[in-house]
Amino acid sequence: MEDRQLTNADNENGRKCACGGAAPFFVGLVVALVFGWWAFPEMLYSQKEQPIRFSHKVHVNDAGMECKQCHSLREDGSFAGLPSTASCAECHSDVLGSDPEEARFVAEYVKSGKEVKWLVYQYQPDNVFFSHAAHSLDGCNQCHQFSERELCNLCHLDVADSDKAPTHYENKLTGYSKQTMKMWQCERCHANENHLGVTNSSNACFVCHK
Amino acid sequence: MALDRRGFLKFIGGATAGILATPVVWKGLDDVSIWSQNWSWIPRNIKGANSYVPTVSKLCPTGVGVRVRLVDGRPVRVIGNPEHPLSKGGVSSIAAAEVQMLYSPARMKRPLKRSPDGAYVMISWEEAEAMLLDGLKAAKGGDALACISGDDNGTINELLSAFVQQSGSKSFFLMPGEAQPAAKAWDLMGGEGQIGYDIEKSDFVLAIGANVLEAWGTAIRNRHAFGASHPHGAEPTAQFVYAGPVLNNTATGADDWLPIRPGTESAFALGLAHLLIKAGASSSAPDFDAFRSLAASFSPEKVAAQTGVDAKALTALAQALAKAKHPLVIVGSEFSQGEGAAPVMAGIALNMLLGSVNRDGGLRALPVARKVVPAGMDRKAMLQQDLTLWASAIASGKAKAPKAMLVYEANPVYALPQGSAFKDTLAKVPFKVAFTSFLDETAMQCDLVIPVSMGLERLDDVCTPYGCGEVVYSLATPVTAPLFDTKPAGDALIALGGKLGLDLGVASFEDMLKAKAAAHGADFDKLAEGTAFTSRATVGANLSFRPDVLSKALDVKAPALPLALAPVMKLNMGTSKTAIPPFNTKTIRRWEVQGKEGYVMLNGATARKLGLAQHDRVVLSNPTGKVTVRVNIFEGVMNDTVAMPLGFGHTAFDEFSKGKGENVMHLLAPSTEPVTGLAVWTGAGVNIAKA
Repeated sequence: MEDRQLTNADNENGRKCACGGAAPFFVGLVVALVFGWWAFPEMLYSQKEQPIRFSHKVHVNDAGMECKQCHSLREDGSFAGLPSTASCAECHSDVLGSDPEEARFVAEYVKSGKEVKWLVYQYQPDNVFFSHAAHSLDGCNQCHQFSERELCNLCHLDVADSDKAPTHYENKLTGYSKQTMKMWQCERCHANENHLGVTNSSNACFVCHK
Repeated sequence: MALDRRGFLKFIGGATAGILATPVVWKGLDDVSIWSQNWSWIPRNIKGANSYVPTVSKLCPTGVGVRVRLVDGRPVRVIGNPEHPLSKGGVSSIAAAEVQMLYSPARMKRPLKRSPDGAYVMISWEEAEAMLLDGLKAAKGGDALACISGDDNGTINELLSAFVQQSGSKSFFLMPGEAQPAAKAWDLMGGEGQIGYDIEKSDFVLAIGANVLEAWGTAIRNRHAFGASHPHGAEPTAQFVYAGPVLNNTATGADDWLPIRPGTESAFALGLAHLLIKAGASSSAPDFDAFRSLAASFSPEKVAAQTGVDAKALTALAQALAKAKHPLVIVGSEFSQGEGAAPVMAGIALNMLLGSVNRDGGLRALPVARKVVPAGMDRKAMLQQDLTLWASAIASGKAKAPKAMLVYEANPVYALPQGSAFKDTLAKVPFKVAFTSFLDETAMQCDLVIPVSMGLERLDDVCTPYGCGEVVYSLATPVTAPLFDTKPAGDALIALGGKLGLDLGVASFEDMLKAKAAAHGADFDKLAEGTAFTSRATVGANLSFRPDVLSKALDVKAPALPLALAPVMKLNMGTSKTAIPPFNTKTIRRWEVQGKEGYVMLNGATARKLGLAQHDRVVLSNPTGKVTVRVNIFEGVMNDTVAMPLGFGHTAFDEFSKGKGENVMHLLAPSTEPVTGLAVWTGAGVNIAKA
């Protein structure tokens, strides 16, 4: 107690602290902010590229394909998701252009019949049931005026104009993609009271958690 | 510039404030909570296209048609097939578990041989086939080879019996069930073909003993008929009455349940026959007068004393039967095995008195397709073979043991009455081979265990299961390639027969099934697409009552013991060839098994008389064996009767079955039915004492 009083007395006599004022606080604040907003995400996610550099731009803009030609619903309403090598081979049974990536795709996958292990940006955990069929353009456009691309982009990355598939950020802790939607994002529509009675988009647990 | 204590604390304060304004804490906590759920053993969905393949269950004795759901070509689930006549959309608890059973911990994955120290070691198929060839070469001629089949009705039985007969033996046996005593009764009374019960078109179904809505015959088809005749919110269009010792699932569903003592089905049926004749029922059968004399001795009072049924209820039942337009009487065992020919004969006699033979909604004589393996046995010859008596004769030294034995998809060590005594029979056989999909109790006694592909992995067939009201022929088609190093037994046996120089008369298993389809008049391609063949054809049934046989066959000698034993069969707890599927463990009730201890059921009055209370540990014993179990008081059991479930007390299979409860077969010993010579093990008795 005595020591502390002596120290205070020293300060009062004009001896300033070696790192006085609010500087240490702000240094700590800035370090934490830099760590939290820059270093932490860098550490948390591993960056992975797709096994084949795929250009949506070439397929959509140049070849005039529609999204659903590759990303379609099956007859039973389940979503086929990504095209198989066999369906790609309907056009790429042989090399069509001069892109070396296409030549590699044909050589490594089409010729051997091997499936490409595409990295998916949006897989939900197994305890989440999601039906693409229930989130159709027809359903949403009862009130909205979405184009197919706008509707897809509510959840998915807009890749139609990209010449290279986006980098896949995989969370090192959870194993899920950075773009995997969280529940609050689902609730933008499911908890919207204007949707009730129009789209059957109830926010009850078992609608998604089977 | 040095950092003193105060400065450091300021830095920490700033860093803390800063970190709270970043995602580190919130995102970190969220991710850690997700990470904590990512255990490696949690099964993952496999995404892919759904497809549905129709086939038929070879594991379920009801022969139920199913559709298997595949995701990306991988079987994931079995559901009913609304297009199949034995399913009509329903599925049994065994068939529902069949996909999961592909991955059973007890699944045979490769050939095994028993080493001299008793351990089983993995061997290659080449080594297994060489062992098999050597072992069978030594078993030619003079009943040196025996075979037991657990397939109730498949054409593979013709192949197996051909194998045995070509080796110079007649020792081919099916596992005991309802079909053998029914065939005996039908044959004695002059029937042709196979008995069928047309439940769908009947307006009054009386099941005596036969657990028709749970495990007897084509139970899933029967349930559909029950459901269709009992529409929700409307009056039933057919009455179902059950007479049996336990309020089982059939009794629970039925419109009326009449409790009777186990093993008294014949007396109950003859009591009804007496009342029907008294009310004017008659028959043109030549021995009707003699039968009337026999039935006259079964007055309601006598039947009431013998069976425990109320005499007035019996009279009311006879009146209801007489009033019905399409009455049908089915007599069987409440646990689908062990009865003699006499109860079935009494049941057929009732149908004759009611005019219900070979008419819609009655008892129908179904044609049986001709055999297609020239060297094999036909269906009639197979059903005359009595495994229980043969095994007893060998165990007691009255008959010579074979030099080699093939056991095909059967588990006699567990499922025969006094099954453990069957070990003694097996011990006398120098070379034993099990063709099986599971490492069961019998496989554990064999020198060589051949892994057989399961029904979902192979081509096979189901010919009109016992009890079905019409001819139904279905094909089991492989829905997936074998998951392990297994093979279907059919082609392996044909190849083996060729090496042994046996003239089996079939080139391939598929050709054999094509011939069977043709024998039925069915289109093989349609069968292979999952469409079952059905026919409403009947054959002649110029029946006699045979009171001369019936009167003597009724007199089965069984030791007099204070309590009657009523085994209870439920398909969810497995069958004679499968143990409890892990999928079904949640369907086992709290007081059926607790930990490793099994339970039996007594009603309150019986328990009070014996001074027993809920959960008391008791010993059930009789001259055959003894088991220690606990008591569950359940009012749905006949007085002075102990009800005990089948399916427990396995000593092999997996952690879900092994060592759980007690095997009721330890308390059942076969007696011989007079005249017919059939082995009978219904109507057993037990002593009970506190453990």
